Amino acid sequence: MSRWAAALIYAVLGAVTFVVCFPLLWAISTSLKPKDEIFRWPPTLIPETITFESYRELLFGGAVASAPGAGVPPSAYFMDWFVNSVIVSVGSTAISITVATLAAYSLTRFRFRGQRAVPYVAILGYMIPSVIFVFPMFLTMVALDLPDTLLSLILGYVCITLPFCLWLMWAFFRGVPIEIEEAALVDGATRLQVFRQIVLPVALPGIIAASIFSLIVSWNDYLFGRVFMNSMDKLPLTVGVMHFFDGTHVDWGLMMASSVLMTLPMAILFGFMQRHLVAGFGAGAVKG
Amino acid sequence: MTDVAIRGLSKSFGTNRVLKALDLTVPSRQFVTLLGPSGCGKTTLLRLIAGLEQPTEGEIRFGERRVDGLPPGERNIAMVFQSYALYPTMDVARNIGYGLEVRGTPKAERRERVGAVAKVLEILHLLGRKPRELSGGQRQRVALGRAMVRKPDIFLMDEPLSNLDAKLRAAMRGELRRFHLDLGTTTIYVTHDQLEAMTMSDLVVVMNEGVVQQIGTPEEVYARPANLFVAGFIGTPPMNLIPARNEGGRVTVEGHPLPVAAPAGAPAELILGIRPQDVSMATPGEPGTIPGKVWMVELIGSERLIEVEIAPKVRVTAEVRASHRAALDDAVAVRLDPAQIHLFDPASGQALPREAVREVGARPA
Ligand SMILES: Nc1ncnc2c1ncn2[C@@H]1O[C@H](COP(=O)(O)OP(=O)(O)O)[C@@H](O)[C@H]1O
Ligand SMILES: [Mg+2]
Repeated sequence: MSRWAAALIYAVLGAVTFVVCFPLLWAISTSLKPKDEIFRWPPTLIPETITFESYRELLFGGAVASAPGAGVPPSAYFMDWFVNSVIVSVGSTAISITVATLAAYSLTRFRFRGQRAVPYVAILGYMIPSVIFVFPMFLTMVALDLPDTLLSLILGYVCITLPFCLWLMWAFFRGVPIEIEEAALVDGATRLQVFRQIVLPVALPGIIAASIFSLIVSWNDYLFGRVFMNSMDKLPLTVGVMHFFDGTHVDWGLMMASSVLMTLPMAILFGFMQRHLVAGFGAGAVKG
Repeated sequence: MTDVAIRGLSKSFGTNRVLKALDLTVPSRQFVTLLGPSGCGKTTLLRLIAGLEQPTEGEIRFGERRVDGLPPGERNIAMVFQSYALYPTMDVARNIGYGLEVRGTPKAERRERVGAVAKVLEILHLLGRKPRELSGGQRQRVALGRAMVRKPDIFLMDEPLSNLDAKLRAAMRGELRRFHLDLGTTTIYVTHDQLEAMTMSDLVVVMNEGVVQQIGTPEEVYARPANLFVAGFIGTPPMNLIPARNEGGRVTVEGHPLPVAAPAGAPAELILGIRPQDVSMATPGEPGTIPGKVWMVELIGSERLIEVEIAPKVRVTAEVRASHRAALDDAVAVRLDPAQIHLFDPASGQALPREAVREVGARPA
């Protein structure tokens, strides 16, 4: 490739990257601006004065604004929401991954009727938009006496992440040759040892990929949180931050600072897991 | 020091009866090959012996110990899989030592034994690598090391050389034989390659369609095939099997009497078997020969195969020296070495007793 062609390609890639990243840059920029600079015209991409006011309000507002009376600002709940989101994402992911891993393993290793159909039927659920089943599920939660609890959200997220995790893990286990397990059995390992020492390490990239998927879905969900949850202190982040918009006026500083703080955990996670993620989505390419 | 006794062993997968009431005794310390065409049930038999499959019927004993019903780990066997089945996430040292690890062998002893085996197999320099960083031949050695390190009672090997290139395969045949002579462990070796079976084994078990056809030394199955299947399966190029008749105690082929007497009580219709090496070319009209036309000539290195059509669709292949010239459609004759003729009953497929096939003086045709 000539240097000119390379330069052209990099220029195009750079432009695309800029367009894709611009909203994020804008959010970071806005979150660091004092309130009077946010709406200034012409807008500034690099803030003239940098302030961490919005971040301070979100991160430490709960302690400051615990004064009695009706005037608790939504930002005081930010840390609650953050913790809630962590609990429901991690909780639902843990359940989804455990169930999906065991189910997928048995789907590839034990023979029974309809064995091959299960993963496909499971994935069919994604053809239905979640708005259609969120209300029946809410009614189920009511029947179980669970609405407005973090557990209801965890169960809800398990419902939407489990099928894909199952499918992914299934594709993964199919690529793990049964002979390596048989070799371990002949070597004298127990079934449990075979699963833990032979199968799980091979399946680890798949488990990581499925976990990241599940974490992202539950972390970013809005619909379930909006329908299932009610109390201010029990909301997940996505639903909570909507309170920075009170119907007439949006607190852009808080909104953007929240966005940045919400993006951060996922970005960090991605950074660490990127290598495994690529391996995971190449599932089935594992050879003994 | 363990013999294997298999009695009335059957295995069905659904309605597919893969092994049919199979009896087999593998003497202690011997290298026994299960030889048969693909799909005849060799792997299934090996997996039954390993405990990876459960028999439908019958029993398996190692020495005095009845093992069918025991899980693979309690049979003290080691198996080399066709795909090698190395543990992909473990390095070579741990792959070899895993059987010791799960049995609770102390780390120091483990390291020592893995090292000793790796030294014998000349893979010491590979101990830190992962299986995916190894060549096919190296993987094969690691799989072998994993089997050897545990000092099992019995080695089971399922076509361990079939994934290697021809040159490496030839070298490994010798090495495997050498290891067996050194270790003296009872070995059951599955292959569909008769060259492997003939060169490596103490005993060859020829199988077809889930039934043992013949058990014998390589010399026996080659020189005295028990039935038509073994006769046709063992030997390259394959044995000529041609229709013959018993006419008053004399064997004839297409009406030409051969200097061979049929055994007493032989049926009128026979199948005559003779290896191409035992067929020579003759001039038409010579007594005791069968006339025909050259149908095909093939050069195989130092030898030449001449296929002679002695009757429509009935052909006899002769293996002669490459210097022997023959042109298509030449009128020729073939002479069958009377001492090397095998006779089979076409109804049962069984060989007639060799002792009874007598040579008689050639009589003018
Ligand atoms: N797990 C199984 N389920 C169903 N059929 C099987 C299974 N394993 C082997 N078979 C059948 O048994 C027969 C013998 O197979 P196998 O023992 O692998 O033959 P070989 O090793 O001699 O080539 C084949 O027809 C094969 O299809
Ligand atoms: Mg096989």
